[in-house]
Amino acid sequence: MGKREKWLTVLSAAPGLALCIAPSAAAMHIMEGYLPPVSCVVWGAVCLPFLAAGVASIRRVAREKRKALLLLAMAGAFVFVISSLKIPSVTGSCSHMTGTGLAAILFGVPATAALGVIVLVFQAVLLAHGGLTTLGANTFSMAIAGPLVSWGLYRAGRKLRLPKKLNVFLAAALGDLFTYCVTSLQLAMAYPSADGGAAASAVKFLGVFAPTQLPLAVIEGLLTMLVIMGMETYAKQELRLIGYAEEV
Amino acid sequence: MITGVLAALVLFGLCAGAMPAGAAAALGILAGAALWIFGRHSHGGVLVIDVYARRSRYFAWSPALKTAACVLLLILCVVSPTSWVPLALALILAALTVAGGGITPRDYLALLSFPAVFLLLSGLALLWDYAPAGDGVLAVPFWNGWLVVTAAAQARARLVTARALGAVSCLYFLSLSTTLPEILAVLRRAHVPQVMTELAILIYRYLFVLLSAYGAMKDAAASRLGYSGFARSIRTTGAVYGNLLSSSFRRSGACFDAMESRCYDGEIRFLQREKPVTLPAALLLGGLAAAAAAGTLLAVRSCG
Repeated sequence: MGKREKWLTVLSAAPGLALCIAPSAAAMHIMEGYLPPVSCVVWGAVCLPFLAAGVASIRRVAREKRKALLLLAMAGAFVFVISSLKIPSVTGSCSHMTGTGLAAILFGVPATAALGVIVLVFQAVLLAHGGLTTLGANTFSMAIAGPLVSWGLYRAGRKLRLPKKLNVFLAAALGDLFTYCVTSLQLAMAYPSADGGAAASAVKFLGVFAPTQLPLAVIEGLLTMLVIMGMETYAKQELRLIGYAEEV
Repeated sequence: MITGVLAALVLFGLCAGAMPAGAAAALGILAGAALWIFGRHSHGGVLVIDVYARRSRYFAWSPALKTAACVLLLILCVVSPTSWVPLALALILAALTVAGGGITPRDYLALLSFPAVFLLLSGLALLWDYAPAGDGVLAVPFWNGWLVVTAAAQARARLVTARALGAVSCLYFLSLSTTLPEILAVLRRAHVPQVMTELAILIYRYLFVLLSAYGAMKDAAASRLGYSGFARSIRTTGAVYGNLLSSSFRRSGACFDAMESRCYDGEIRFLQREKPVTLPAALLLGGLAAAAAAGTLLAVRSCG
Protein backbone atom coordinates (compact mmCIF):
# COMPACT_ATOMS: atom_id res chain seq x y z
CA MET A 1 0.00 0.00 0.00
CA GLY A 2 1.48 3.30 -1.11
CA LYS A 3 1.87 6.28 1.15
CA ARG A 4 -0.95 8.12 -0.55
CA GLU A 5 -3.29 5.17 -0.24
CA LYS A 6 -2.56 4.90 3.45
CA TRP A 7 -3.19 8.56 3.94
CA LEU A 8 -6.47 8.36 2.04
CA THR A 9 -7.59 5.35 4.05
CA VAL A 10 -6.99 7.18 7.30
CA LEU A 11 -8.78 10.20 5.94
CA SER A 12 -11.74 8.08 4.92
CA ALA A 13 -12.01 6.67 8.41
CA ALA A 14 -12.02 10.04 10.13
CA PRO A 15 -15.48 11.43 9.26
CA GLY A 16 -17.17 8.12 9.88
CA LEU A 17 -15.53 7.68 13.24
CA ALA A 18 -16.19 11.26 14.22
CA LEU A 19 -19.88 11.04 13.45
CA CYS A 20 -20.34 7.36 14.16
CA ILE A 21 -23.95 7.30 13.08
CA ALA A 22 -24.17 5.36 9.86
CA PRO A 23 -27.08 2.98 10.22
CA SER A 24 -27.25 1.66 6.70
CA ALA A 25 -25.43 3.70 4.17
CA ALA A 26 -27.15 2.65 1.05
CA ALA A 27 -26.46 4.52 -2.07
CA MET A 28 -28.86 7.40 -2.22
CA HIS A 29 -31.82 5.86 -3.97
CA ILE A 30 -34.99 7.88 -3.51
CA MET A 31 -37.46 5.33 -2.23
CA GLU A 32 -40.64 4.21 -3.95
CA GLY A 33 -43.48 6.69 -3.68
CA TYR A 34 -41.41 9.44 -2.08
CA LEU A 35 -41.71 12.01 -4.86
CA PRO A 36 -44.92 13.83 -5.85
CA PRO A 37 -46.35 12.84 -9.24
CA VAL A 38 -45.13 15.98 -11.04
CA SER A 39 -41.49 15.34 -10.10
CA CYS A 40 -41.75 11.71 -11.16
CA VAL A 41 -42.93 12.70 -14.63
CA VAL A 42 -40.52 15.63 -15.05
CA TRP A 43 -37.41 13.66 -14.09
CA GLY A 44 -38.50 10.82 -16.30
CA ALA A 45 -38.82 13.23 -19.22
CA VAL A 46 -35.39 14.74 -18.51
CA CYS A 47 -33.84 11.27 -18.75
CA LEU A 48 -35.44 10.36 -22.06
CA PRO A 49 -32.88 11.92 -24.47
CA PHE A 50 -30.00 10.30 -22.59
CA LEU A 51 -31.78 6.97 -22.65
CA ALA A 52 -32.48 7.26 -26.35
CA ALA A 53 -28.77 7.91 -26.94
CA GLY A 54 -27.93 4.94 -24.72
CA VAL A 55 -30.31 2.58 -26.52
CA ALA A 56 -28.94 3.73 -29.86
CA SER A 57 -25.36 3.16 -28.73
CA ILE A 58 -26.16 -0.30 -27.40
CA ARG A 59 -28.06 -1.19 -30.55
CA ARG A 60 -25.02 -0.17 -32.60
CA VAL A 61 -22.78 -2.31 -30.42
CA ALA A 62 -25.16 -5.25 -30.76
CA ARG A 63 -25.19 -4.96 -34.53
CA GLU A 64 -21.49 -4.46 -35.07
CA LYS A 65 -19.88 -6.60 -32.39
CA ARG A 66 -22.24 -9.15 -30.94
CA LYS A 67 -19.63 -10.26 -28.50
CA ALA A 68 -19.52 -6.79 -27.01
CA LEU A 69 -23.22 -7.07 -26.15
CA LEU A 70 -22.40 -9.96 -23.86
CA LEU A 71 -19.60 -7.94 -22.31
CA LEU A 72 -22.07 -5.12 -21.66
CA ALA A 73 -24.48 -7.57 -20.07
CA MET A 74 -21.69 -8.85 -17.84
CA ALA A 75 -20.83 -5.27 -16.98
CA GLY A 76 -24.45 -4.56 -16.03
CA ALA A 77 -24.58 -7.67 -13.89
CA PHE A 78 -21.31 -6.65 -12.28
CA VAL A 79 -22.58 -3.18 -11.40
CA PHE A 80 -25.71 -4.73 -9.87
CA VAL A 81 -23.72 -7.29 -7.91
CA ILE A 82 -21.29 -4.80 -6.40
CA SER A 83 -24.16 -2.49 -5.52
CA SER A 84 -25.81 -5.33 -3.62
CA LEU A 85 -22.73 -6.46 -1.70
CA LYS A 86 -21.63 -5.16 1.64
CA ILE A 87 -18.35 -3.28 1.58
CA PRO A 88 -16.07 -2.80 4.56
CA SER A 89 -16.95 0.26 6.55
CA VAL A 90 -15.62 1.87 9.62
CA THR A 91 -18.75 2.03 11.71
CA GLY A 92 -19.93 -1.53 11.32
CA SER A 93 -22.82 -0.35 9.20
CA CYS A 94 -23.95 -1.80 5.91
CA SER A 95 -22.62 0.21 3.00
CA HIS A 96 -22.92 -0.55 -0.67
CA MET A 97 -21.01 0.80 -3.64
CA THR A 98 -22.88 2.57 -6.40
CA GLY A 99 -20.52 1.56 -9.20
CA THR A 100 -21.56 4.58 -11.26
CA GLY A 101 -18.08 6.09 -11.44
CA LEU A 102 -16.60 2.76 -12.43
CA ALA A 103 -19.17 2.23 -15.17
CA ALA A 104 -18.74 5.75 -16.53
CA ILE A 105 -14.93 5.44 -16.71
CA LEU A 106 -15.10 2.03 -18.34
CA PHE A 107 -18.09 2.31 -20.69
CA GLY A 108 -18.76 6.01 -21.32
CA VAL A 109 -21.86 8.04 -20.47
CA PRO A 110 -24.54 6.87 -22.97
CA ALA A 111 -23.97 3.16 -22.35
CA THR A 112 -23.90 3.81 -18.61
CA ALA A 113 -27.26 5.57 -18.81
CA ALA A 114 -28.90 2.61 -20.58
CA LEU A 115 -27.23 0.03 -18.34
CA GLY A 116 -28.08 2.21 -15.36
CA VAL A 117 -31.81 2.12 -16.03
CA ILE A 118 -31.78 -1.66 -16.22
CA VAL A 119 -29.72 -1.91 -13.06
CA LEU A 120 -32.04 0.52 -11.25
CA VAL A 121 -35.12 -1.53 -12.23
CA PHE A 122 -33.32 -4.62 -10.98
CA GLN A 123 -32.40 -2.89 -7.74
CA ALA A 124 -35.99 -1.75 -7.22
CA VAL A 125 -37.50 -5.18 -7.85
CA LEU A 126 -34.82 -7.49 -6.47
CA LEU A 127 -33.31 -5.45 -3.65
CA ALA A 128 -36.01 -2.90 -2.83
CA HIS A 129 -33.50 -0.06 -3.31
CA GLY A 130 -35.24 2.81 -5.08
CA GLY A 131 -38.53 2.29 -6.84
CA LEU A 132 -40.52 2.32 -10.02
CA THR A 133 -42.22 5.70 -9.59
CA THR A 134 -38.90 7.31 -8.66
CA LEU A 135 -37.07 5.58 -11.50
CA GLY A 136 -36.75 8.82 -13.49
CA ALA A 137 -35.25 10.82 -10.65
CA ASN A 138 -32.90 8.02 -9.64
CA THR A 139 -31.81 7.47 -13.23
CA PHE A 140 -30.98 11.13 -13.56
CA SER A 141 -28.90 11.31 -10.40
CA MET A 142 -27.17 7.92 -10.51
CA ALA A 143 -26.99 6.97 -14.18
CA ILE A 144 -26.62 10.37 -15.82
CA ALA A 145 -25.43 13.23 -13.56
CA GLY A 146 -22.92 11.22 -11.50
CA PRO A 147 -21.42 9.40 -14.48
CA LEU A 148 -21.19 12.66 -16.46
CA VAL A 149 -19.10 14.22 -13.69
CA SER A 150 -16.95 11.12 -13.26
CA TRP A 151 -16.33 10.79 -16.96
CA GLY A 152 -15.61 14.51 -17.41
CA LEU A 153 -13.21 14.59 -14.47
CA TYR A 154 -11.48 11.45 -15.68
CA ARG A 155 -11.01 12.93 -19.14
CA ALA A 156 -9.82 16.27 -17.74
CA GLY A 157 -7.43 14.50 -15.39
CA ARG A 158 -5.94 12.59 -18.30
CA LYS A 159 -5.41 15.83 -20.22
CA LEU A 160 -3.72 17.36 -17.17
CA ARG A 161 -1.58 14.22 -16.81
CA LEU A 162 -2.61 13.57 -13.23
CA PRO A 163 -1.24 10.32 -11.83
CA LYS A 164 -3.66 7.63 -12.98
CA LYS A 165 -4.55 6.33 -9.52
CA LEU A 166 -5.32 9.79 -8.18
CA ASN A 167 -7.29 10.58 -11.30
CA VAL A 168 -9.54 7.53 -11.01
CA PHE A 169 -9.99 8.07 -7.30
CA LEU A 170 -11.01 11.69 -7.74
CA ALA A 171 -13.35 10.95 -10.63
CA ALA A 172 -15.17 8.19 -8.78
CA ALA A 173 -15.35 9.89 -5.40
CA LEU A 174 -16.49 13.25 -6.76
CA GLY A 175 -18.99 11.57 -9.09
CA ASP A 176 -20.43 9.81 -6.06
CA LEU A 177 -20.60 13.04 -4.09
CA PHE A 178 -22.27 14.76 -7.01
CA THR A 179 -24.89 12.01 -7.15
CA TYR A 180 -25.65 12.60 -3.50
CA CYS A 181 -25.92 16.37 -4.02
CA VAL A 182 -28.24 15.92 -7.01
CA THR A 183 -30.46 13.55 -5.05
CA SER A 184 -30.68 16.02 -2.16
CA LEU A 185 -31.55 18.77 -4.61
CA GLN A 186 -34.25 16.62 -6.21
CA LEU A 187 -35.77 15.98 -2.79
CA ALA A 188 -35.51 19.65 -1.89
CA MET A 189 -37.17 20.76 -5.10
CA ALA A 190 -40.02 18.34 -4.48
CA TYR A 191 -40.40 19.41 -0.86
CA PRO A 192 -39.21 23.02 -0.40
CA SER A 193 -39.06 24.25 3.16
CA ALA A 194 -41.68 26.71 4.38
CA ASP A 195 -39.26 29.49 5.40
CA GLY A 196 -36.24 29.25 3.17
CA GLY A 197 -37.66 27.52 0.09
CA ALA A 198 -35.78 24.85 -1.82
CA ALA A 199 -32.32 26.11 -0.76
CA ALA A 200 -32.97 25.66 2.96
CA SER A 201 -34.56 22.32 2.29
CA ALA A 202 -31.53 21.21 0.25
CA VAL A 203 -29.25 22.05 3.18
CA LYS A 204 -31.43 19.91 5.44
CA PHE A 205 -31.40 16.92 3.10
CA LEU A 206 -27.66 17.28 2.50
CA GLY A 207 -27.20 17.40 6.26
CA VAL A 208 -29.13 14.29 7.24
CA PHE A 209 -27.48 12.15 4.59
CA ALA A 210 -23.94 13.55 4.95
CA PRO A 211 -22.80 11.16 7.72
CA THR A 212 -23.50 8.16 5.54
CA GLN A 213 -22.54 9.58 2.17
CA LEU A 214 -19.21 11.33 2.79
CA PRO A 215 -17.26 8.27 4.00
CA LEU A 216 -19.00 6.21 1.34
CA ALA A 217 -17.74 8.46 -1.46
CA VAL A 218 -14.15 8.09 -0.26
CA ILE A 219 -14.44 4.32 0.01
CA GLU A 220 -16.07 4.17 -3.39
CA GLY A 221 -13.19 6.15 -4.87
CA LEU A 222 -10.60 3.84 -3.31
CA LEU A 223 -12.37 0.69 -4.48
CA THR A 224 -12.87 2.02 -8.00
CA MET A 225 -9.19 2.82 -8.18
CA LEU A 226 -8.24 -0.70 -7.08
CA VAL A 227 -10.71 -2.32 -9.49
CA ILE A 228 -9.46 -0.34 -12.45
CA MET A 229 -5.85 -1.12 -11.62
CA GLY A 230 -6.74 -4.81 -11.46
CA MET A 231 -8.71 -4.70 -14.69
CA GLU A 232 -5.92 -3.06 -16.62
CA THR A 233 -3.59 -5.83 -15.59
CA TYR A 234 -5.85 -8.74 -16.41
CA ALA A 235 -8.52 -7.80 -18.94
CA LYS A 236 -7.10 -5.21 -21.27
CA GLN A 237 -8.28 -6.98 -24.41
CA GLU A 238 -11.92 -7.12 -23.36
CA LEU A 239 -11.77 -3.52 -22.21
CA ARG A 240 -10.65 -2.46 -25.66
CA LEU A 241 -13.56 -4.28 -27.22
CA ILE A 242 -16.07 -2.14 -25.34
CA GLY A 243 -14.22 1.07 -26.11
CA TYR A 244 -12.11 1.70 -23.02
CA ALA A 245 -8.45 2.55 -23.30
CA GLU A 246 -8.17 2.73 -27.07
CA GLU A 247 -5.03 4.74 -26.79
CA VAL A 248 -3.39 2.99 -23.85
CA MET B 1 -30.62 -0.08 16.80
CA ILE B 2 -30.06 3.35 15.32
CA THR B 3 -32.99 2.67 12.99
CA GLY B 4 -35.12 2.03 16.06
CA VAL B 5 -34.08 5.28 17.76
CA LEU B 6 -34.67 7.18 14.53
CA ALA B 7 -38.10 5.62 14.12
CA ALA B 8 -39.04 6.61 17.66
CA LEU B 9 -37.90 10.20 17.07
CA VAL B 10 -39.68 10.58 13.73
CA LEU B 11 -42.94 9.02 14.89
CA PHE B 12 -42.93 11.27 17.94
CA GLY B 13 -42.44 14.26 15.65
CA LEU B 14 -45.25 13.10 13.39
CA CYS B 15 -47.77 12.57 16.18
CA ALA B 16 -46.85 15.28 18.68
CA GLY B 17 -49.68 17.77 19.03
CA ALA B 18 -52.23 15.44 17.47
CA MET B 19 -52.41 13.36 20.64
CA PRO B 20 -51.19 13.78 24.24
CA ALA B 21 -47.39 13.98 24.47
CA GLY B 22 -47.24 10.82 26.59
CA ALA B 23 -49.17 8.78 24.02
CA ALA B 24 -47.02 10.11 21.16
CA ALA B 25 -43.84 9.27 23.04
CA ALA B 26 -45.14 5.79 23.89
CA LEU B 27 -46.10 5.13 20.27
CA GLY B 28 -42.69 6.29 19.08
CA ILE B 29 -40.84 4.14 21.60
CA LEU B 30 -42.99 1.08 20.80
CA ALA B 31 -42.40 1.37 17.07
CA GLY B 32 -38.70 1.98 17.60
CA ALA B 33 -38.39 -1.10 19.78
CA ALA B 34 -40.30 -3.20 17.24
CA LEU B 35 -37.97 -2.11 14.46
CA TRP B 36 -34.93 -2.72 16.63
CA ILE B 37 -36.01 -6.26 17.45
CA PHE B 38 -37.49 -7.40 14.12
CA GLY B 39 -35.91 -5.14 11.59
CA ARG B 40 -32.48 -6.66 11.11
CA HIS B 41 -31.78 -6.64 7.47
CA SER B 42 -29.87 -9.77 6.76
CA HIS B 43 -27.19 -10.14 4.17
CA GLY B 44 -27.49 -13.90 4.07
CA GLY B 45 -28.61 -14.06 0.48
CA VAL B 46 -28.49 -11.15 -1.90
CA LEU B 47 -31.43 -12.33 -3.96
CA VAL B 48 -33.84 -13.22 -1.15
CA ILE B 49 -36.68 -11.40 -2.90
CA ASP B 50 -36.26 -13.63 -5.94
CA VAL B 51 -36.44 -16.73 -3.74
CA TYR B 52 -39.60 -15.49 -2.02
CA ALA B 53 -41.19 -14.71 -5.39
CA ARG B 54 -40.76 -18.26 -6.58
CA ARG B 55 -42.18 -19.59 -3.33
CA SER B 56 -45.26 -17.36 -3.35
CA ARG B 57 -48.76 -18.65 -3.95
CA TYR B 58 -49.38 -15.72 -6.28
CA PHE B 59 -46.53 -16.94 -8.49
CA ALA B 60 -49.11 -18.83 -10.57
CA TRP B 61 -51.12 -15.68 -11.28
CA SER B 62 -50.81 -13.94 -14.60
CA PRO B 63 -47.74 -11.67 -14.47
CA ALA B 64 -49.34 -9.13 -16.80
CA LEU B 65 -52.32 -8.79 -14.45
CA LYS B 66 -50.10 -8.40 -11.39
CA THR B 67 -47.83 -5.87 -13.07
CA ALA B 68 -50.73 -3.79 -14.41
CA ALA B 69 -52.57 -3.81 -11.08
CA CYS B 70 -49.45 -2.87 -9.13
CA VAL B 71 -48.55 -0.02 -11.45
CA LEU B 72 -52.11 1.30 -11.21
CA LEU B 73 -52.05 1.05 -7.41
CA LEU B 74 -48.64 2.73 -7.31
CA ILE B 75 -49.95 5.67 -9.30
CA LEU B 76 -53.02 5.93 -7.06
CA CYS B 77 -50.76 5.92 -4.00
CA VAL B 78 -48.56 8.69 -5.31
CA VAL B 79 -51.39 10.99 -6.42
CA SER B 80 -53.52 10.44 -3.32
CA PRO B 81 -54.17 13.75 -1.48
CA THR B 82 -54.89 12.08 1.86
CA SER B 83 -52.82 9.63 3.85
CA TRP B 84 -55.70 7.22 4.48
CA VAL B 85 -55.85 5.59 1.07
CA PRO B 86 -52.13 4.71 0.88
CA LEU B 87 -52.06 3.63 4.52
CA ALA B 88 -55.03 1.30 4.01
CA LEU B 89 -53.42 -0.05 0.84
CA ALA B 90 -50.16 -0.61 2.70
CA LEU B 91 -51.90 -2.65 5.39
CA ILE B 92 -54.06 -4.68 2.94
CA LEU B 93 -51.20 -5.45 0.57
CA ALA B 94 -48.82 -6.33 3.39
CA ALA B 95 -51.44 -8.71 4.80
CA LEU B 96 -52.04 -10.24 1.36
CA THR B 97 -48.33 -10.65 0.71
CA VAL B 98 -47.70 -12.29 4.05
CA ALA B 99 -50.82 -14.48 3.93
CA GLY B 100 -50.32 -15.85 0.45
CA GLY B 101 -46.66 -15.32 -0.07
CA GLY B 102 -44.97 -17.94 2.04
CA ILE B 103 -43.08 -15.22 3.86
CA THR B 104 -43.18 -14.71 7.61
CA PRO B 105 -44.20 -11.32 9.03
CA ARG B 106 -40.74 -11.08 10.55
CA ASP B 107 -39.01 -11.49 7.19
CA TYR B 108 -41.40 -8.97 5.67
CA LEU B 109 -40.49 -6.44 8.35
CA ALA B 110 -36.82 -7.16 7.80
CA LEU B 111 -37.26 -6.39 4.11
CA LEU B 112 -39.04 -3.17 5.05
CA SER B 113 -36.19 -2.03 7.27
CA PHE B 114 -34.09 -1.21 4.23
CA PRO B 115 -36.26 1.56 2.79
CA ALA B 116 -37.12 2.50 6.37
CA VAL B 117 -33.71 4.12 6.85
CA PHE B 118 -34.26 6.41 3.90
CA LEU B 119 -37.82 7.11 4.99
CA LEU B 120 -36.73 8.04 8.51
CA LEU B 121 -33.76 10.21 7.57
CA SER B 122 -35.78 12.17 5.03
CA GLY B 123 -38.63 12.28 7.51
CA LEU B 124 -36.32 14.13 9.89
CA ALA B 125 -35.44 16.60 7.15
CA LEU B 126 -39.09 17.14 6.24
CA LEU B 127 -40.22 17.64 9.84
CA TRP B 128 -37.61 19.92 11.34
CA ASP B 129 -37.15 23.46 10.15
CA TYR B 130 -34.70 26.13 11.23
CA ALA B 131 -36.55 29.29 12.18
CA PRO B 132 -35.67 32.51 14.03
CA ALA B 133 -38.73 32.22 16.29
CA GLY B 134 -39.62 29.17 18.32
CA ASP B 135 -43.33 28.82 17.60
CA GLY B 136 -44.55 25.44 16.47
CA VAL B 137 -45.71 22.12 17.79
CA LEU B 138 -42.21 21.30 19.00
CA ALA B 139 -39.28 23.68 19.33
CA VAL B 140 -35.69 23.19 20.42
CA PRO B 141 -33.30 26.15 20.80
CA PHE B 142 -30.38 25.87 18.39
CA TRP B 143 -27.67 28.29 17.23
CA ASN B 144 -29.25 31.73 17.71
CA GLY B 145 -32.62 30.35 16.66
CA TRP B 146 -34.90 27.41 16.92
CA LEU B 147 -35.37 24.03 15.35
CA VAL B 148 -39.13 23.76 15.02
CA VAL B 149 -41.76 21.31 13.87
CA THR B 150 -44.76 23.18 12.48
CA ALA B 151 -48.21 21.73 11.96
CA ALA B 152 -47.92 22.25 8.21
CA ALA B 153 -44.60 20.39 8.05
CA GLN B 154 -46.16 17.62 10.12
CA ALA B 155 -49.09 17.27 7.76
CA ARG B 156 -46.79 17.14 4.76
CA ALA B 157 -44.45 14.61 6.36
CA ARG B 158 -47.41 12.42 7.31
CA LEU B 159 -48.74 12.47 3.75
CA VAL B 160 -45.35 11.74 2.19
CA THR B 161 -44.60 8.94 4.63
CA ALA B 162 -48.00 7.35 4.05
CA ARG B 163 -47.61 7.56 0.28
CA ALA B 164 -44.16 6.01 0.45
CA LEU B 165 -45.35 3.17 2.71
CA GLY B 166 -48.28 2.44 0.41
CA ALA B 167 -46.09 2.52 -2.67
CA VAL B 168 -43.46 0.26 -1.11
CA SER B 169 -46.05 -2.34 -0.21
CA CYS B 170 -47.38 -2.23 -3.80
CA LEU B 171 -43.87 -2.78 -5.08
CA TYR B 172 -43.31 -5.60 -2.60
CA PHE B 173 -46.56 -7.28 -3.60
CA LEU B 174 -45.28 -7.34 -7.17
CA SER B 175 -41.67 -8.25 -6.51
CA LEU B 176 -42.48 -10.88 -3.88
CA SER B 177 -44.80 -12.72 -6.26
CA THR B 178 -43.34 -12.20 -9.73
CA THR B 179 -39.85 -12.99 -10.93
CA LEU B 180 -37.88 -10.50 -12.97
CA PRO B 181 -37.91 -12.47 -16.24
CA GLU B 182 -41.71 -12.49 -16.10
CA ILE B 183 -41.82 -8.74 -15.56
CA LEU B 184 -39.39 -8.32 -18.45
CA ALA B 185 -41.62 -10.42 -20.68
CA VAL B 186 -44.53 -8.11 -19.81
CA LEU B 187 -42.34 -5.11 -20.63
CA ARG B 188 -41.43 -6.62 -23.97
CA ARG B 189 -45.10 -7.01 -24.79
CA ALA B 190 -45.52 -3.36 -23.82
CA HIS B 191 -43.02 -2.46 -26.58
CA VAL B 192 -40.01 -1.52 -24.52
CA PRO B 193 -37.06 -1.59 -27.00
CA GLN B 194 -36.08 -5.18 -27.51
CA VAL B 195 -32.39 -4.57 -27.14
CA MET B 196 -33.03 -3.36 -23.59
CA THR B 197 -35.17 -6.31 -22.52
CA GLU B 198 -32.68 -8.73 -24.02
CA LEU B 199 -29.79 -7.06 -22.25
CA ALA B 200 -31.84 -7.20 -19.05
CA ILE B 201 -32.50 -10.92 -19.43
CA LEU B 202 -28.82 -11.59 -20.01
CA ILE B 203 -27.97 -9.49 -16.98
CA TYR B 204 -30.43 -11.43 -14.85
CA ARG B 205 -28.86 -14.73 -15.87
CA TYR B 206 -25.33 -13.49 -15.25
CA LEU B 207 -26.23 -12.34 -11.75
CA PHE B 208 -26.23 -15.88 -10.48
CA VAL B 209 -22.94 -16.68 -12.21
CA LEU B 210 -21.28 -13.61 -10.75
CA LEU B 211 -22.68 -14.11 -7.28
CA SER B 212 -21.39 -17.67 -7.04
CA ALA B 213 -17.98 -16.63 -8.38
CA TYR B 214 -17.92 -13.82 -5.85
CA GLY B 215 -18.79 -16.23 -3.02
CA ALA B 216 -15.85 -18.46 -3.91
CA MET B 217 -13.43 -15.53 -4.19
CA LYS B 218 -14.58 -14.02 -0.93
CA ASP B 219 -14.22 -17.31 0.94
CA ALA B 220 -10.76 -17.80 -0.51
CA ALA B 221 -9.72 -14.31 0.55
CA ALA B 222 -11.29 -14.65 4.00
CA SER B 223 -9.55 -17.96 4.67
CA ARG B 224 -6.25 -16.18 3.99
CA LEU B 225 -7.10 -13.42 6.51
CA GLY B 226 -7.83 -10.98 3.70
CA TYR B 227 -10.43 -9.12 5.75
CA SER B 228 -8.45 -8.56 8.95
CA GLY B 229 -8.44 -4.85 9.63
CA PHE B 230 -10.08 -2.03 7.75
CA ALA B 231 -7.26 -1.08 5.37
CA ARG B 232 -6.66 -4.65 4.35
CA SER B 233 -10.36 -5.33 3.80
CA ILE B 234 -10.56 -2.36 1.46
CA ARG B 235 -7.59 -3.67 -0.50
CA THR B 236 -9.01 -7.19 -0.61
CA THR B 237 -12.45 -5.96 -1.66
CA GLY B 238 -10.93 -3.94 -4.48
CA ALA B 239 -8.84 -6.88 -5.64
CA VAL B 240 -11.80 -9.27 -5.50
CA TYR B 241 -14.05 -6.88 -7.44
CA GLY B 242 -11.41 -6.34 -10.12
CA ASN B 243 -10.82 -10.04 -10.40
CA LEU B 244 -14.56 -10.68 -10.55
CA LEU B 245 -15.04 -8.28 -13.44
CA SER B 246 -12.10 -9.59 -15.44
CA SER B 247 -13.01 -13.24 -14.87
CA SER B 248 -16.62 -12.49 -15.80
CA PHE B 249 -15.45 -10.86 -19.03
CA ARG B 250 -13.48 -13.96 -19.85
CA ARG B 251 -16.45 -16.13 -19.04
CA SER B 252 -18.68 -14.09 -21.32
CA GLY B 253 -16.31 -15.00 -24.16
CA ALA B 254 -16.96 -18.69 -23.55
CA CYS B 255 -20.66 -17.97 -23.27
CA PHE B 256 -20.63 -16.19 -26.60
CA ASP B 257 -18.91 -19.13 -28.29
CA ALA B 258 -21.55 -21.46 -26.88
CA MET B 259 -24.37 -19.24 -28.11
CA GLU B 260 -22.77 -18.78 -31.52
CA SER B 261 -22.48 -22.53 -31.98
CA ARG B 262 -26.22 -22.80 -31.25
CA CYS B 263 -27.15 -20.39 -34.04
CA TYR B 264 -27.36 -17.16 -32.04
CA ASP B 265 -28.51 -14.48 -34.47
CA GLY B 266 -28.79 -11.50 -32.15
CA GLU B 267 -32.13 -12.47 -30.67
CA ILE B 268 -32.80 -14.63 -27.64
CA ARG B 269 -36.10 -16.45 -27.30
CA PHE B 270 -37.31 -18.16 -24.16
CA LEU B 271 -40.13 -20.58 -23.70
CA GLN B 272 -42.52 -19.24 -21.10
CA ARG B 273 -45.11 -21.00 -19.08
CA GLU B 274 -48.61 -19.83 -19.92
CA LYS B 275 -50.26 -18.17 -16.98
CA PRO B 276 -53.79 -17.14 -17.94
CA VAL B 277 -55.73 -14.53 -15.98
CA THR B 278 -57.81 -16.41 -13.40
CA LEU B 279 -61.11 -15.20 -11.99
CA PRO B 280 -60.15 -14.95 -8.28
CA ALA B 281 -56.96 -13.07 -9.12
CA ALA B 282 -58.78 -10.66 -11.43
CA LEU B 283 -61.56 -10.11 -8.88
CA LEU B 284 -59.18 -9.51 -5.99
CA LEU B 285 -56.78 -7.16 -7.77
CA GLY B 286 -59.55 -5.45 -9.76
CA GLY B 287 -61.60 -4.92 -6.61
CA LEU B 288 -58.60 -3.53 -4.78
CA ALA B 289 -57.78 -1.15 -7.61
CA ALA B 290 -61.43 -0.03 -7.90
CA ALA B 291 -61.67 0.58 -4.15
CA ALA B 292 -58.42 2.54 -4.14
CA ALA B 293 -59.53 4.59 -7.13
CA ALA B 294 -62.88 5.34 -5.49
CA GLY B 295 -61.15 6.33 -2.25
CA THR B 296 -58.75 8.63 -4.10
CA LEU B 297 -61.59 10.23 -6.08
CA LEU B 298 -63.59 10.86 -2.91
CA ALA B 299 -60.54 12.35 -1.24
CA VAL B 300 -59.81 14.60 -4.23
CA ARG B 301 -63.40 15.81 -4.26
CA SER B 302 -63.51 16.51 -0.52
CA CYS B 303 -60.20 18.38 -0.72
CA GLY B 304 -61.70 20.58 -3.38
